[in-house]
Amino acid sequence: MSALESLFVLIAALCAVGGCANVLYDEAVDVSAISATSEAKYFDSAGEVSGTIYFDYDKYDLISSSITQIRQLANDFKTNSSMKIRVEGHCDERGTREYNLALGEKRAKAVAEVLILNGVPSNKITTVSYGEEKPVAYGSTEASWAKNRRAELRLL
Amino acid sequence: MNHRTMVFLFTFLIFSGAAFPDLKIEITEGSQDPIRIAIVPIGWNLDDPSRGYLHQMVSSDLASFGEFETLTPQEMLSLPRNEEEVFFRDWKLLDVDYLVVGTASQGEVPEEVSVSFSVIDVTREKTLRRSISSGSINYLNSLAHVMSDRIYEEINGIPGIYSTKIIYINKEGSSNGKYHLRLADIDGQNDLALFSSYEPLMSPDWSSDGKKLAYVSFEEGSSKIYIQELYTGNRKGLKSEGGINSSPNWSPDDRYLSAVLSKAGNPDIYIYDIKENSWKQLTDHFGIDTEPDWSPNGKKIIFTSNRSGSPQIYEMTVSNGKIRRKTFEGSYNARARYTPDGKSFVFVHRMDNLFHIAVQNLRTGKLRILTDTSLDESPTISPNGNVIIYATKNQGENILAGISYNGKTKFILPTDLGEVREPSWSPILKQSRSTRLF
Repeated sequence: MSALESLFVLIAALCAVGGCANVLYDEAVDVSAISATSEAKYFDSAGEVSGTIYFDYDKYDLISSSITQIRQLANDFKTNSSMKIRVEGHCDERGTREYNLALGEKRAKAVAEVLILNGVPSNKITTVSYGEEKPVAYGSTEASWAKNRRAELRLL
Repeated sequence: MNHRTMVFLFTFLIFSGAAFPDLKIEITEGSQDPIRIAIVPIGWNLDDPSRGYLHQMVSSDLASFGEFETLTPQEMLSLPRNEEEVFFRDWKLLDVDYLVVGTASQGEVPEEVSVSFSVIDVTREKTLRRSISSGSINYLNSLAHVMSDRIYEEINGIPGIYSTKIIYINKEGSSNGKYHLRLADIDGQNDLALFSSYEPLMSPDWSSDGKKLAYVSFEEGSSKIYIQELYTGNRKGLKSEGGINSSPNWSPDDRYLSAVLSKAGNPDIYIYDIKENSWKQLTDHFGIDTEPDWSPNGKKIIFTSNRSGSPQIYEMTVSNGKIRRKTFEGSYNARARYTPDGKSFVFVHRMDNLFHIAVQNLRTGKLRILTDTSLDESPTISPNGNVIIYATKNQGENILAGISYNGKTKFILPTDLGEVREPSWSPILKQSRSTRLF
């Protein structure tokens, strides 16, 4: 029996039972297996952390001890001016990821501003935000969260 | 190859496919009033041992989100294979609301199975729909999903979601664990990594035609947006600007992406024209504007902004740039996603320092908190609007969880892949061709 004939037999069987109104035919289309995968090269993250500044929840302003800390780092940098500074902003896990990406950038920029005010040329500074994507502490406690709300400075 | 080997191989194929899905829905709180449906074992007119599994796959689909309660064959008083053999009293005795009976035969080509079945309203003793589903014998789960979608639509009047998929981000558990963009069928089968990296991945978004993905990758040292074709794996990084490049979101016609760039000094919403490879700035405010989502009719974009002092939801009319604030309850409302009918949005709402998923009606402003889990984020809603999947933390583990739109059914999707988050639900995928016969 050809394919078309088989189909008609099926339909006839259905119709014989209770009339032919509105038989629907759904055909699953070929499910081509999705197997495409690819991988990124390893990104060589720059240098070691030379300083870490901490922030309050939902905030990106700097307390005075942080400003002092950054000033110190700016002075250290000036003796080594062939290098560049990368400031990375981070958040704790609370709140949405994209909003935290923006908050992390505010933190990194706040630190960069103080560096510039203390004589570091702006073209030597890069700011990057990782939002909540790179925590140093896991767990959902105040202590873990406080460790993650930070900006890290790396000399390149 | 002899018959016995074929039988063994075939059985192995059936079971290996169904064996260990990475994400499997586990209902934690069921609906109080599910529809009772009996999928009678499909009469099998083909010569192979896979008989009997179709009814199980269909039952499993229908029970997934708590909307249906299914019967096992052991509970059934009779096993009719067509409408003529149905004795309604056997089903009314069991309080069954709907009945599905049918038979399977060889399709157009040797590898194809055709199932003719009837969806029957037991209470009214009336056949709702006669239908034929066909598909490859090598992908019986796809055929089952097509049948489940048809049954669901005949009973509920809206499309079923059993052929849909999700993409999500997975981070391996070890401290230098890799990040993966993963894809899975909604029943947890066929889970695989589409892209892997040593640096973070974020914000995956499914295109409206179901063929492309957009996401954020830190592989070059900071956030950049990539578009990847699902079937070929080809990926392209968007022309990147300094600062944040993130939160990509496809327009309903897939001609544009809305996204967030901070190149002008602070995060604003931009539109990227894919064909022209150009950016257009939409918001221009010194605060944080982020997390855009296009409305289903393409006329508006909903987004998060802290322009009033803390994150709230705003809606912009794309044609004239007019912006209206939408949320007024609570001090943190973010990451809105329109419901498919465009009348409401699901979002993250903080109350008493706990982050829940909530839904708000755009016209009335009425807000309803959906979840009682906390540290909730990234809600994604099924293309028929009935189910929401989101990311949360459960006993220290970052997992995906779900809830029906009416809030009555709750489930989790446990996994042993490590951390999972940021789910994005596919559109209705064209997994079947439907024709009306007569």
